[in-house]
Amino acid sequence: MIETILIVDDDLDILELLKMNLEPEGYNVRTANNGESAVQSACANPPDLILLDVMMPQKSGFEVIEELKNIEHTKNVPIILVTARGQTEDKVLGLDTGADDYITKPFDLREVTARVEAVLGRTRPIKYINPLMRAMGDKFSEEGLQQLAGHLQAAAAIQNKLLPEQAPSLDEFDIETLLQSSTSVSGDFYDFIPLNETQIGLVLGDVKGNGIPAALLMVMIRTALRLLCHEEDTPASILKRVNDLVVRDTEADLFATMVYGILDITNSTFTYSNGGHCYPFHWKHTGEMGVLKTEGMLIGAFEEATFSSDICELSPGDILVFYTDGITETETRKSEVTAGNTSQKEEAGSSENGLPITESHYGTDRLATCISKNAGLSASALCDTIVNDLTLFSGSTNPHDDRALIIIKRHI
Amino acid sequence: MNVETTIAKKNISILHIEGKILGNASDAFRKEMSEQLQTGRDKLVIDLMNVPLIDSSALGAIVITLKSCQQSGGKLVLLNPQKAVREVLEVTKLSTVIEIYDTEEGACAAF
Repeated sequence: MIETILIVDDDLDILELLKMNLEPEGYNVRTANNGESAVQSACANPPDLILLDVMMPQKSGFEVIEELKNIEHTKNVPIILVTARGQTEDKVLGLDTGADDYITKPFDLREVTARVEAVLGRTRPIKYINPLMRAMGDKFSEEGLQQLAGHLQAAAAIQNKLLPEQAPSLDEFDIETLLQSSTSVSGDFYDFIPLNETQIGLVLGDVKGNGIPAALLMVMIRTALRLLCHEEDTPASILKRVNDLVVRDTEADLFATMVYGILDITNSTFTYSNGGHCYPFHWKHTGEMGVLKTEGMLIGAFEEATFSSDICELSPGDILVFYTDGITETETRKSEVTAGNTSQKEEAGSSENGLPITESHYGTDRLATCISKNAGLSASALCDTIVNDLTLFSGSTNPHDDRALIIIKRHI
Repeated sequence: MNVETTIAKKNISILHIEGKILGNASDAFRKEMSEQLQTGRDKLVIDLMNVPLIDSSALGAIVITLKSCQQSGGKLVLLNPQKAVREVLEVTKLSTVIEIYDTEEGACAAF
């Protein structure tokens, strides 16, 4: 984005000099030769920075600042004062002028450029990088930002407390979990709820979108589920009741997808239902790969939603993998697919998994292959292997979307 | 993502979408649909033939627009979703609440 600088000076030569100096640096330069027109120009279209001469007839630079600071959409425009050495310099130093920096005349043009860049560098992040700022009005201040950051931190802390600290430790099953958030609060979640001595309720889900609204819906769903799952009901009817509770209180475009199931430790079975979530994988000790597929709507989107339950048996060595689409929608490094760069493809393909990168997104096929090839590993080692493969595929360790994973392996 | 809207007989709006509807693109997608509703057009055909991929935000946009259409007595149908999009619609079971057509004639005959 090209930044605009408004230069204000009653000396036309200085205006021209500064303009000639700053334009080649890539700035869009406007000028005003008195205080009054400076205020008008700034109000009509606030610049990104004002270089303001202090000593001007009629309206001085100090008066211009005072006016601009009282106008909502100009009060945050950074200002560099230009003062005469000896005359106004002392005054500027002794006053709280409201300016961000000052330059003394006669000035070195390189110093002007350096100071302009320094002030813009300080104010740019607040203005452009944080997309909230434009919508925030009065919170367009450091204080407002700190307050907001505080709220986000508190929300993240609440959410972290809701997640189980560790996966349940069982003699019969080896369980590993993963949750990676792309922002401080996550839309992905999982939970383990002990139902009785032999059964554990298990949920993994993904609330649409991310940030605070998603986190709030996640808390609602998790609480509803925790309350309802103790009733002796099928997973399908529990999902139905969660949906009915949530749908009343949410906007139509806020919904979640999730899998809920009951792991029976004595019988080694998993009874499950699915609310619009990607189908979990079931790797069987025979080497066959299957999916846990049941019919069910998104959670929280429709009043008339239906769900169904199914059951699978887990033999020794069998693995269940639950995941969110943040994993399968991981994007590849662009060059590999689009440019068709053979050497890079081969390099990526010669990974420990030996999987070539041919798709723009990680996808369920690659995840299934990765699980099958590494099915001999422990749950935790398999989890690490999947994460490594994702890193290899995307070329980055930072996920763009939230990612959650639960791996359950029945001991041999 | 690009959207080109044409108006067919019976005041049906056909939104031809081109490109992936991911992330911020779904805002533009949603805005285009709600502009139709605001101008009183609540019969929408969303042409997904040239959409290789959609994400959950796009689904959210479809769901909220579908509900708005239904509230005002209109309807929203989908036209020609491709494999990956069709899979998402099936996994999320949106395919059970939204009518999906393979031809423009079929889609328009739904109104």
